[in-house]
Amino acid sequence: MTDFPAMLQALDEYHVEYIVVGGAAATAHGAARLTLDLDIVYRRTRENITRLVASLAPHQPYLRGAPPGLPFRWDAETVQRGLNFTLATAVGPLDVLGEITGGGGYDALVSRSQTLTLFGVACRCLSLEQLIVVKRAAGRPKDLEALAELEAIAEERRNL
Amino acid sequence: MARGDSRFDVDISLEPDPVIEAYKKDVDRTLIRENLKLTPEQRLRQLMKLQEFAEELQAGGRRTRRG
Repeated sequence: MTDFPAMLQALDEYHVEYIVVGGAAATAHGAARLTLDLDIVYRRTRENITRLVASLAPHQPYLRGAPPGLPFRWDAETVQRGLNFTLATAVGPLDVLGEITGGGGYDALVSRSQTLTLFGVACRCLSLEQLIVVKRAAGRPKDLEALAELEAIAEERRNL
Repeated sequence: MARGDSRFDVDISLEPDPVIEAYKKDVDRTLIRENLKLTPEQRLRQLMKLQEFAEELQAGGRRTRRG
């Protein structure tokens, strides 16, 4: 299970700049589809990467699906050299993304996000409209069902 | 509008995509309407319960395959 409160509280404790995207963002907007991880887009500044690394370190991040014993070190240098990381952590699966297809990085997305209070934490979440825009731009067949649901949510909201 | 949702944008001005429109016919809007009565946090708590249930089902399946 994804422990959303633990993840968001860890990121908040270290003042990490991030935006919730993907399935969890869709859920926050009203989607009913099952998603098994938390996807975040983090700001790729040196300071923020240092905070991100420190925030997740207690939760033992490791590359998801990688064989045990792989020489993976969760540190600022690793994050700086990489971009997107699919992690298994003690509090659940977490995708730490420098960029997303169709949306770009944190700086491109932040003005298209909204602040939500979740589990006592103020966190930025990509807006419903922008989730749709990003998923459409990504153009992945696997997103079609999710896109249909997101657009249906937008229609239902307009009718409220 | 559900509690805590007042800042959500719904100003979608994209052209309808015929493929997405076709998929939309199968969306269960009753689930969406129920979700829209909840706060974003309540929706995430509900998702965690669903994940827990999915894990139980997977574990049950594994036990059955092992005999």
